[in-house]
Amino acid sequence: MWGVIKSVLAAFLGVQKDQQRRADFEHGSAAAFIVVGVVMTAVLVGVIAMVAILAAR
Amino acid sequence: MRTLLVWLAGGLSLVGSSQAALASGWNMPVGVTDLSREIYTLHMAIFWICVVIGVIVFGVMFYSLIRYRHSKGAKAANFHENTTVEILWTAVPLLILIGMAVPATATLQKIYDPSDAELDVMITGQQWRWRYEYLGEDVAFNSNMSTPRAQIRGEEERGENYLLEVDEPLVLPINRKVRFLFTSDDVIHAWWVPDFAVKQDTIPGFITENWVNINEPGIYRGQCAELCGVDHGFMPIVVHAMEEDDFDTWLAERQEAAAEEALGVDREWEMDELMERGESVYGSICSSCHQPEGQGSPPAFPALAGNEEMLADIEWHKDTIINGVSGTAMPSFRTTLNPVELAAVITYTRNAWGNDTGDAVQPSEIAERLER
Amino acid sequence: MAPKVPPQPTLEQSSTAVEAGHGHAHAAPPKGIMRWLLTTNHKEIGSLYLIFSLIMFFIGGIFALVVRAELFQPGLNLVNPEFFNQMTTMHGLIMVFAAVMPAFTGLANWMIPLQIGAPDMALPRLNNFSFWLLPVAFTLLLSTLFMPGGGPNFGWTFYAPLSTTYAPPSTTFFILALHIAGVSSILGAINIIATILNMRAPGMRMMDMPLFVWTWLITAFLLIAVMPVLAGVITMMLMDINFGTSFFNAAGGGDPVLFQHLFWFFGHPEVYIMILPAFGIVSAIIPAFARKRLFGYASMVYATSAIALLSFLVWGHHMFAVGMPLAGQLFFMYSTMLIAVPTGVKVFNWVTTLFRGSISFEPPMLFALAFVVLFTIGGFSGLMLAIAPADFQYHDTYFVVAHFHYVLVPGAVFSIMAGVYFWLPKWTGHYPHLRLSQWHFWLSVIGVNLTFFPMHFAGLAGMPRRIPDYALQFADFNLVSTVGAFMFGFSQLLFVAVVVLCVRGGKKAPAQAWGEYADDLEWTVPSPAPLHTFETPPTFQRPAH
Repeated sequence: MWGVIKSVLAAFLGVQKDQQRRADFEHGSAAAFIVVGVVMTAVLVGVIAMVAILAAR
Repeated sequence: MRTLLVWLAGGLSLVGSSQAALASGWNMPVGVTDLSREIYTLHMAIFWICVVIGVIVFGVMFYSLIRYRHSKGAKAANFHENTTVEILWTAVPLLILIGMAVPATATLQKIYDPSDAELDVMITGQQWRWRYEYLGEDVAFNSNMSTPRAQIRGEEERGENYLLEVDEPLVLPINRKVRFLFTSDDVIHAWWVPDFAVKQDTIPGFITENWVNINEPGIYRGQCAELCGVDHGFMPIVVHAMEEDDFDTWLAERQEAAAEEALGVDREWEMDELMERGESVYGSICSSCHQPEGQGSPPAFPALAGNEEMLADIEWHKDTIINGVSGTAMPSFRTTLNPVELAAVITYTRNAWGNDTGDAVQPSEIAERLER
Repeated sequence: MAPKVPPQPTLEQSSTAVEAGHGHAHAAPPKGIMRWLLTTNHKEIGSLYLIFSLIMFFIGGIFALVVRAELFQPGLNLVNPEFFNQMTTMHGLIMVFAAVMPAFTGLANWMIPLQIGAPDMALPRLNNFSFWLLPVAFTLLLSTLFMPGGGPNFGWTFYAPLSTTYAPPSTTFFILALHIAGVSSILGAINIIATILNMRAPGMRMMDMPLFVWTWLITAFLLIAVMPVLAGVITMMLMDINFGTSFFNAAGGGDPVLFQHLFWFFGHPEVYIMILPAFGIVSAIIPAFARKRLFGYASMVYATSAIALLSFLVWGHHMFAVGMPLAGQLFFMYSTMLIAVPTGVKVFNWVTTLFRGSISFEPPMLFALAFVVLFTIGGFSGLMLAIAPADFQYHDTYFVVAHFHYVLVPGAVFSIMAGVYFWLPKWTGHYPHLRLSQWHFWLSVIGVNLTFFPMHFAGLAGMPRRIPDYALQFADFNLVSTVGAFMFGFSQLLFVAVVVLCVRGGKKAPAQAWGEYADDLEWTVPSPAPLHTFETPPTFQRPAH
């Protein structure tokens, strides 16, 4: 699970080691990546919104 | 390739030549408020950041293009990944952006604080003029472009402030925090004076706010910045910023004049007076749509000369001008015009261009109707 | 509209292309116009899309030249403001919906099956239908110019209530035209997704796909996500205009700002719909002529996905001046600034691909390099526009016009031209004429910069968008822009000449026309590509280098 999160984080930055990428594509399940990706997008939106709301006070 | 390089270098040096050259009509004005200066600084900061990044990126690019030419026998290396470099060029821009976001946030917070204003001005966008109302001061007027159409058509020589001049400028005091409330009577307009760094959409049915605290007296010009129909290019803004004493004198004079106008409602007006006043109201308010000779431009703007519906029914005529026609471009003039102006313009449109009905509508009649 | 198309190979020729000498059971295609009306072949439909978009590019270009000619000098010289507004509006609508988007769809039709080793698109009849909707939609749209009251005159962003209560009577036809174009886009996008997900050659995994396929896959998802939003917003307009609703009419309790939120929720991803496939094309061309593998393929894919996701979060940056709450303003400023990061990654990857390569300057490469430089300049001004307080000064000025034209003309349009030059040998079997292509490139690149660079200055100095006449201090900038625009416009005739000459003849191109670093599957079929390719799926092998 932690591996999936780490890979998705790497994807957010747009950086990943080729080896790690190969491993993800060979062993990981697509569904896990998509779910984690969507959740982390929501988290990202939440974080930006939080910062914005805090800064607006 | 080299030509491209020269062109780019030329472009960049043009941009960066000197601050003085930049200020003279090539760059954003520094402006005359604390906030406009802050925004100018932000603008220049992000600009120079872009220039530096551009020089590095394009530098590497053009170095590669020149150094590694196939025609000069360059042999391609074989690398296609480097995690360290990739992390670096993701993280560094991120840090730069955070560095920009912090001052930008601070400036935005100041812009969003219109509290403790000493004067409130309501700014209403209308196709195609501005209406300024000094709230609680009983002073309100319309501001139309005063550049003659003949200049636009090229029949007269164009003046220095071509398209940026109005019949009645907005007058504001310096060193006082002035709050603006924006709304619109028809479509969305945007009130923009570059020297104040204030640009705010005026939205029908909504009130938005912004504020200004001018540091230097002077005349500042701007334009409508949101496409608002056929004469969008012809609704300039002129602000006359005065010393506080001068402003107070000006305001007192305007209040006196307004009071005098209010007295005029009760007296009987002669036909000639009404026609004269009506012509000037028509010229500044109605003619942009219904055309100077009342010929209109159908289908959007019906002709008034010989308009049978209007001539047959005077009550309908009054109602149309006072309340507008919903679902069309005809706005309500209930608040825009005072009873004298309403009466005059109704009289004028019923008698000009061969409409000769002989009807004279009295301001008192309109005032009574407005109170109902 | 007699379509000019690449010469179609005879049946004998195409059967030679079929691997292992497959027998040919196809009936002879219908002749004449019926052939084009009924075709289900991805290459023919691709050509139709490209020819259609080229015609529309010229129509939209003529509208732009009317605008530029009027702005050549101060004063109202050629057209009245009413017609001027129709021209700016139609220019935008035609260029976005009828030129750039169909051109990318045309390239997708031609190249995606070839690049993934599929015999055709997954849904060929749907493919035919999505194309033939377009001429219908845009004939209808263009016909509004001749209707009483004129065509759309409220800008390509058609903000209500200017586009509802105050709009000309033809607006209902404009809405119908956009609906039809939107249906076409959605169907095309479904087809592309179905093709990419189901029809890849055996052995080709997602991360083996060429970047043009990747970027189009992501673009197709964007299209499916946002075109219905556009359909919704124009339907609300339709109701406001014809059925007495008040979605956007404040007098009836509606909200004009709601229109902008909906429009830009469509509109911002739309911007990326017009640029992501461009990234794919450039990512194919630069390695080919730098003779070096693309740097950071995986990060390109990730960056494209990141841009696509972020594109849904930034629509508010088009609305900084409407008076959003401070928190909203800050949210959209931060998310917009974030988008610069993945975009930067792409530019850095291209530049690093060039670094220590072995670079030559064939016509596709010239356009791709100009794309990198000029798109980046457009990106810089985009970054400046993201700073909300500064945006109060930039918003709705020529600075914005300069910004999005840099992204769309030397961005999207140059990438399309680069793609056309790159794949012409595959389509026609001939290389494009070298000298003419170079002339086309240099005149275009100079023209485009002369047109749009001065607009930055005009905007900063205070010139608003969409005005038919301007104050005297903007005269010099506009004069230069107009000269540049005519130069750019007329040099596109050279492009037509190059394409026509290339179809007719020229230096013969081999299958692998651009050397060993242009090594995706399309380069394994003969040039010109026979009408039917990959009837037996190829076995995909990962590139050796």
